[in-house]
Amino acid sequence: MSHDYKTVQWTPYKKRFDLWMLGGIALYLAGFIAVSYTTQPAGHSFAPIQALLRATGTLAFLLLTFILCIGPLARMTDRFKPFLYNRRHLGVTTFLIALIHAALVILWYHGFSETNALVSIFISNPRYDSLAGFPFEILGFVALIIMFLMAATSHDFWNANLGPGLWKALHMGVYLAYGLLVIHIALGAIQFNKSAIYVALLAGSAITVVSLHIVTGIASLRPSDRTANEGWLKVAAVDEMEDARAKIVRPVSGEAIAVFRDGDKVSAVSNVCRHQGGPLGEGKIVDGCITCPWHGFQYRMEDGQSPPPFTEKIATYATRIVEGVVYVNPEPNAPGTPQSPSQIGASA
Amino acid sequence: MKRAHRRTHFAIWAILGPVIFWVLALAILNRPDAPVNDALPQVLIEEPN
Repeated sequence: MSHDYKTVQWTPYKKRFDLWMLGGIALYLAGFIAVSYTTQPAGHSFAPIQALLRATGTLAFLLLTFILCIGPLARMTDRFKPFLYNRRHLGVTTFLIALIHAALVILWYHGFSETNALVSIFISNPRYDSLAGFPFEILGFVALIIMFLMAATSHDFWNANLGPGLWKALHMGVYLAYGLLVIHIALGAIQFNKSAIYVALLAGSAITVVSLHIVTGIASLRPSDRTANEGWLKVAAVDEMEDARAKIVRPVSGEAIAVFRDGDKVSAVSNVCRHQGGPLGEGKIVDGCITCPWHGFQYRMEDGQSPPPFTEKIATYATRIVEGVVYVNPEPNAPGTPQSPSQIGASA
Repeated sequence: MKRAHRRTHFAIWAILGPVIFWVLALAILNRPDAPVNDALPQVLIEEPN
């Protein structure tokens, strides 16, 4: 929660995650360079900088692929929720690796030109009408600029000052960056590298990312097929509700509702976190508070308010239990309005 | 995510997905037979200054 700003909001868990991440990155780079040298055909010239720029390029793309898969996968299985919580650090790291890749490319392929190296990217290859000779580096450069904007505004300072709506819209630019990078590789590395591994990695990445987002996108837009009881939407049988977890109900109009069970109590709040619009219903109850899976923002079940000293508020909803079935009133209360939870066993 | 963001999110992928697959298919199917050598020719490397 954003009571004050810190450069990086470290927790022991995040530190451990970052150490694993850095270890994995070092291992990948060392492994890629080692394999590049051992599989190099005899007599073929190969500079160390070329191995490094390919290693950083492939790593940045694979990391971006993984980052884009985290959201949809976290909706399918809880195993990916920890990555959701640490996605921001992963994203900034991906940008830094992409930046190293770009710097090496500029140094190696444009640094010896009489023209300014940055200008050279845009004018050295004018073959826009050719597929195999297309100036693919420009696509990578534009994607890098988008990633820079996202990394630079990734801190909560920018989220608070731009507002969650604009911040989210800006950060959806990552999808455009991904599309540009797929085309950057398809018209670049794929054209002059005959290895089937590159084609398989690129096609596999594109198929996985696009299909995951389309499938989860359709599911998240479809209103819940709920039986209404005097206008109240059926949530689930009490027995089907896992303790400290939620069922998400999507009314025909309005925002989705997260209906939580905490022991023998059932409460409902808006599914949209005030921080960055994270799906609260995919989080869980920690220390008696509903906890967003994205960045750990917390809200009290009874009134939708963040515990002091924090001030965020979300809408609450009335619930009731009839014959062992939980229902929710789709009409929201004003954010922060106290709402008595339904007691399991009281009305059954 | 808010409903409006979910709609935007889905619309982006509904447009971006086919574009990505189309370019990917074109790029893979039209790869040149001979790979372009991005290394300097040996003769240039060995040429004395």
